[in-house]
Amino acid sequence: MAAPSTVMDSNHHSNYKLTKTEKKFLRKQIKARHTLLRHEGVETVSYATQSLVVANGGLGNGVGRSQLRPALEKCGLVDGLLMPPNKPYSFVRYRTAEEARKAYVALNGKEIVGDLGQKIILYLNFVEKAQWKELGLQALPPGLMVVEEIISSEDEKMLLESVNWAEDIEDQNVQKSLKHRRVKHFGYEFHYENNNVDKDKPLPGGLPDIWDSILEKWLKEGFIKHKPDQLTVNQYEPGHGIPAHIDTHSAFEDEIVSLSLGSEIVMDFKHPDGVTVPVMLPRRSLLVMTGESRYLWTHGITPRKFDTVQASKGHKGGIITSDVGDLTLSKRGIRTSFTFRKVRQTPCNCSYPLVCDSQTQQSSPLLPGSAREASQLEREHVHRVYEEIAGHFSSTRHTPWPRIVDFLKALPSGSLVADVGCGNGKYLGINQDLYMIGCDRSRSLVDICGERRFQALVGDALALPLRSGSCDACLSVAVIHHLATAERRVAALRELVRLLRPGGTALIYVWAMEQEYNKKKSKYLRENRVSQGKEEETDSDAAAVPKSLGGQVPDVGDQDAPCCVPAIPDCLGEGGNASDVTDARLPVHTNRTSFHAQDLLVPWHHKGSPGKDKPVGAAGSAPGAVFHRYYHVFREGELEAACRTLSGVRLLQSYYDQGNWCVVLQKV
Amino acid sequence: MKPLPHNLPSPHVRGVGPRGFPLRLQATEVRINPVEFNPDFVARMIPKVEWAALLEAADTLHLVEVPKGPIEGYEHDEKFLRQMHHVLLEVDVLEGTLQCPESGRLFPISRGIPNMLLSDEETET
Repeated sequence: MAAPSTVMDSNHHSNYKLTKTEKKFLRKQIKARHTLLRHEGVETVSYATQSLVVANGGLGNGVGRSQLRPALEKCGLVDGLLMPPNKPYSFVRYRTAEEARKAYVALNGKEIVGDLGQKIILYLNFVEKAQWKELGLQALPPGLMVVEEIISSEDEKMLLESVNWAEDIEDQNVQKSLKHRRVKHFGYEFHYENNNVDKDKPLPGGLPDIWDSILEKWLKEGFIKHKPDQLTVNQYEPGHGIPAHIDTHSAFEDEIVSLSLGSEIVMDFKHPDGVTVPVMLPRRSLLVMTGESRYLWTHGITPRKFDTVQASKGHKGGIITSDVGDLTLSKRGIRTSFTFRKVRQTPCNCSYPLVCDSQTQQSSPLLPGSAREASQLEREHVHRVYEEIAGHFSSTRHTPWPRIVDFLKALPSGSLVADVGCGNGKYLGINQDLYMIGCDRSRSLVDICGERRFQALVGDALALPLRSGSCDACLSVAVIHHLATAERRVAALRELVRLLRPGGTALIYVWAMEQEYNKKKSKYLRENRVSQGKEEETDSDAAAVPKSLGGQVPDVGDQDAPCCVPAIPDCLGEGGNASDVTDARLPVHTNRTSFHAQDLLVPWHHKGSPGKDKPVGAAGSAPGAVFHRYYHVFREGELEAACRTLSGVRLLQSYYDQGNWCVVLQKV
Repeated sequence: MKPLPHNLPSPHVRGVGPRGFPLRLQATEVRINPVEFNPDFVARMIPKVEWAALLEAADTLHLVEVPKGPIEGYEHDEKFLRQMHHVLLEVDVLEGTLQCPESGRLFPISRGIPNMLLSDEETET
């Protein structure tokens, strides 16, 4: 539907009576104008100029240059077409204002077809000039190189055919996996549980013979310096990606090379300071990562079906610049990557210790020996963290665990129940027949309870501000494992019992060291296996997926920057004396993998508070920051044993629930 | 913070004995929210009420029509139960303080939430 024949805008007064369609069109045009101004700072004018903003005709809403340009050129000589990346609009400049006016009339309200075949209606408005931000020149991450056309088309065909995916039919994960990329390993198996290889168990056969001559050639021509002994083949369909990560320092030597066959792709490199550099990897090119690009920058592929690329450069490798006059969309094809690496046999000694798993242990906090040290550790690595992440944390804590709901629903009507460590109040509204009071150490989290009109107070689990014997029941879900000494954990249990009236019951949940029980992996672990490796980046705003169901989930499916695999001696794990161990540094855990120690720091990747106007964290911490939370994960029987040291209690139940050890106590 | 929880808080300050309860309530902002009346639920709360504390709080909040104590057959006395329902469930202190009568320590109530955290020195036993 083209624009009404009379050029109308809100400033034009006329006796001409508008039809319903014309009114609707006008409304939409005005709305587009307002949206552009309010959200994008684009100022439109009501008189004809040479330049127009084309709302709904942008890279951000699936309109490519090849669709838009022809339609624009029909109306006159196009001086320039600027398509800012990820924006749902573009700017066109005509040679004369008259030509622009022609376009305004002809194209306003015009329906075109977008890249995905969807129907799009364009709305045009005049602008004085195209406004967009000119970004500075970017350089490739140091140590990065893209070698183009390193493989001929014939060899590409042969190499792609050489990969026998059919072998994996038995493998359940490959079968279900149309959602995720397919993967195969040679030389050494790469373990996604700890992002490392098992150096003592090389795979028989080594690298397929077909690669021998090619690798020799690359060595001779200086594209690579070392002969690799590990190969990972990944097949990415459009829509597949891999979350940003650094390849584990201790697993592989400096040089990591990756061959892209079948299709090109855009790979994003991110520096810890926040700079992102998108790099085009053309088909049949070799990506070489060394030095800083290998050790410090993360690399990843956004899961999507289109990449934003440079129209003029076509399929040339290198950075995708920010010249918005030249960007367009490129539909992805199936890309198979062959990543060659050399396994390290010694600890890593790179110059980037902060992101090095071999070296970070030096700066890790110590397991506390005294109550004072414990209190300090908890302040730094529990309380302060929850204050900062409260909003984001709350958004990932929305699904009540069924057995806890059962416990609450079984309590007699009118019971007074204290939820010690209530967090965002997840359980405070479950059973309307109970009078529930929440208590938490985190002011920010308790505020969320207040917003939800729950009764809650800020208090410490070791000194509960509630009268002895006043509660019919208590909950302590995912709290006691944040206390840093055995004495403090027992003290917390004692406090719970103190609150109970005789006959009252308490339900306690703590994170289990054993994330696999009765041969079944907990949800916490399972979500790693199913996705065959790194979790796809999911938006924690999509709260529908109950990722917090079952085992304690510190993060909701996100990038796991590989952290150190702890080398803590076993005696620490047995709850033995910390002083027996010469170097009791707390290891940093890799999310969604098995626990290798009982006392550790678990990363939380902050994503910012969804949908909240003000940052809940004290410092309004930046999304992307990583926090380390202290945990003491419990071994089987440990919680029971701790309860047995209390007097005046009876153990009613003891069970394992999705990665947690649980008990129900009764005050005698 | 509603009066019933007020019944409960008691600071864990070192050396504070049983007279540390009840905390003295001072309110600068109070909100009344209507809550659906459930006689059965209210009846079950009655035995748990600390009347002295509740009456003191009701006095501070200038609440009228607060029963002075449980009456005979309260479980079936709708008028009694409705009065208790109002004072226990519909009155919310948004801003104010709770004060320990023994030590004088003040605990703030802000946005309806009392902050009962003690400093390290106060909790050391």
